[in-house]
Amino acid sequence: MSNISPITDLMCEEGGASFLVEYDENTSIDSLYNPCFILDDEEKYIEYLFTQEMGFVSESCPALSSNHDCSNRFWLRSARLDAIDWIFNTQAKFGFKVHTAYLSMTYFDQFLSKRSIDESKPWAIQLLSVACLSLAAKMEEQNVPSLSEYPSEEYLFETRVIKNMELMILSTLEWKMGSATPFPYLHYFVTKFCPRSRPETIITKAIDYIVAMVKDINLMDQRPSIIASAAVLAAFDATLTRNAMDHMISAISSWGNIESGHVFSCYNLIQEKKRNKVKTPSSILFSTHSTSTCVVENPLDTSSGTKRKLPFDKS
Amino acid sequence: MGDGSSNRTNSNSNKPEWLQQYDLIGKIGEGTYGLVFLARIKSQANRGKSIAIKKFKQSKDGDGVSPTAIREIMLLREIIHENVVKLVNVHINHTDMSLYLAFDYAEHDLYEIIRHHRDKVNHSINQYTVKSLLWQLLNGLNYLHSNWIIHRDLKPSNILVMGDGEEHGVVKIADFGLARIYQAPLKPLSENGVVVTIWYRAPELLLGAKHYTSAVDMWAVGCIFAELLTLKPLFQGAEVKGTPNPFQLDQLDKIFKVLGHPTLDKWPSLANLPHWQQDVQHIQGHKYDNTSLCNVVHLSPKSPAYDLLSKMLEYDPRKRITAAEALEHEYFKLEPQPGRNTLVPCQPGETFVNYPTRPVDTTTDFEGTANLQPPMPVSSGAGSMPGGHGSNRTVPRPMNVVGMQRMPHQPMQAYNLASQAGMGPGMNPGGIPMQRGVPQAHQQQQLRRKDQMGMPGYPPQQKSRRI
Repeated sequence: MSNISPITDLMCEEGGASFLVEYDENTSIDSLYNPCFILDDEEKYIEYLFTQEMGFVSESCPALSSNHDCSNRFWLRSARLDAIDWIFNTQAKFGFKVHTAYLSMTYFDQFLSKRSIDESKPWAIQLLSVACLSLAAKMEEQNVPSLSEYPSEEYLFETRVIKNMELMILSTLEWKMGSATPFPYLHYFVTKFCPRSRPETIITKAIDYIVAMVKDINLMDQRPSIIASAAVLAAFDATLTRNAMDHMISAISSWGNIESGHVFSCYNLIQEKKRNKVKTPSSILFSTHSTSTCVVENPLDTSSGTKRKLPFDKS
Repeated sequence: MGDGSSNRTNSNSNKPEWLQQYDLIGKIGEGTYGLVFLARIKSQANRGKSIAIKKFKQSKDGDGVSPTAIREIMLLREIIHENVVKLVNVHINHTDMSLYLAFDYAEHDLYEIIRHHRDKVNHSINQYTVKSLLWQLLNGLNYLHSNWIIHRDLKPSNILVMGDGEEHGVVKIADFGLARIYQAPLKPLSENGVVVTIWYRAPELLLGAKHYTSAVDMWAVGCIFAELLTLKPLFQGAEVKGTPNPFQLDQLDKIFKVLGHPTLDKWPSLANLPHWQQDVQHIQGHKYDNTSLCNVVHLSPKSPAYDLLSKMLEYDPRKRITAAEALEHEYFKLEPQPGRNTLVPCQPGETFVNYPTRPVDTTTDFEGTANLQPPMPVSSGAGSMPGGHGSNRTVPRPMNVVGMQRMPHQPMQAYNLASQAGMGPGMNPGGIPMQRGVPQAHQQQQLRRKDQMGMPGYPPQQKSRRI
């Protein structure tokens, strides 16, 4: 009866959680992604996340991937890249965690899978970016700036307009604001895939890869654990074969019926981006959208046949 | 979720459309978060069903939607459990962008039940009720913890108990404004205008622990258990005001007086706690006489109730009993066994207490200010249902027999959120915090009835709407 098991103990950080001060490829990552678990709790928590992911339905953003209406799709892709730039720059400016910026992009992609924005409303993308980041900050950050502090580019929004957009996002996403991201998996995968390496080094690299991939994949197309595992594997060893990877993945039994092919294509995308980066010295993160727009068209998506195609009515 | 209703007003009323589905009865609570109202559903399907509507205080325009509201709704829409209060709808008032949460209404809470026994009936709560309340509280908590949710603010006023109806006497954990899922961020408790009572706060937090675990909720349950037994808060420390998170020496002092001094021997990680290290003079230096918990709660040290309580009040959070373990404790296997209707004991001869209904301030409207409507004439009493609008179809209903069935002893269900992901979006549990000290209304509403159907669900998601 008094047999104490810490299984259901939940641990979280109180008070002075550390922040990643600035996103910079050389910045060492803080301890945030080394969850403060008590030993065996991490395994349990990851299992819980896996089961949560089972409900993850690849629901591509119709606006980003529908095959017709190419001009709007092209516009939207480029608008999305602008949004990513703005969000990650602003995240750095405020000293938010990378996770916060990433989370706001999951809101962004989910929103666009349910509502469309077309070329005639370029301001709407900016408004969406501000509201997504503000919502993610409220979920993740301890110090949240007021809406008027968010930097504006071409358009200046009244705070009540931003608040209205927040409400629209909240109800469009049905208040499911705790979207899964790859970040909670990183520490776990490092201990599983590369137990002898220094976790900090691998995690720092893996986070770089994850952030870089935001530009190329719709975050609703891939399970977060797949992105996390591919990033950790790429950070650990850039020369893995498909067989070697399958072997490593099979070590994680609780993962369920994971498609190792998805991990592999994600891994390959990272390698490809690394090669491109060597060719073009400009930072991946803040590269101009012209290079990647439409070049990589949902490279990871294997289910394009099932996508909903919703018409755009041009206005 | 979020009703898609517009704010068109009809000629008869300035009320937004969503509000017109309710009859507002009056205000039942007020706090830093906003206001809580009692309302009844007008629609045919659920006519007369009582709903608690929580209106979030308007945040400053410049802040946007309040983080507390976002977190509370996000959590509540995911959790479904008999012992967690049910969120039935979220309404957005688009004109002023205010948020309203509609919950199933619970007539009682542990604060009022304890107070009633202490100040009115002058006798302790019967054993069956104490045990059933505790069992259901643990049952709900076990569900939350299995889903990686820590409540963080358990106290008697947040533990609701359903009034007459199919769920009579069923416990509902409420108020998730401070709850969090693992890895979400955490503000120090005193920030954000949130005031949390320190009486139920775990010693590791009082000593400045940076880590929260589900064990903090179990400490609070221990304090509530003792309070159910003695009708007095177990550790009634005087709170030190100030920011942020001042050291609560008096609260620790109250705890040590009852449980004795914590020792590194029994609680090794104590050495790492900031206040333990910093405040050597006070907390390490003071000697406490041997007072014992069993004297305070009037339990035999050999009784199963005492054994369970002392395991909940274990200093070391890692050794503290978990909700799942507590549910398996011998205490719950002995007579009287816990039942579903906590308020009505099955044993003949046990005292049956008629708890008062929640006071309703019928002079307040949804803005929390003006006069609303003339108060309705209301009668009360068992079996007699009052008239008044919205209740024309009410049928007198005797005490529900179904609600008195015993809770079978069964292994805990494996709750799996993923398997619930496909459920209808209308089935969302919720939390209603009730604040004390609401002025007594001239008219108390005692209208209650049950209905078979749930609230209408959230409207189906519209796809690809243009903005």
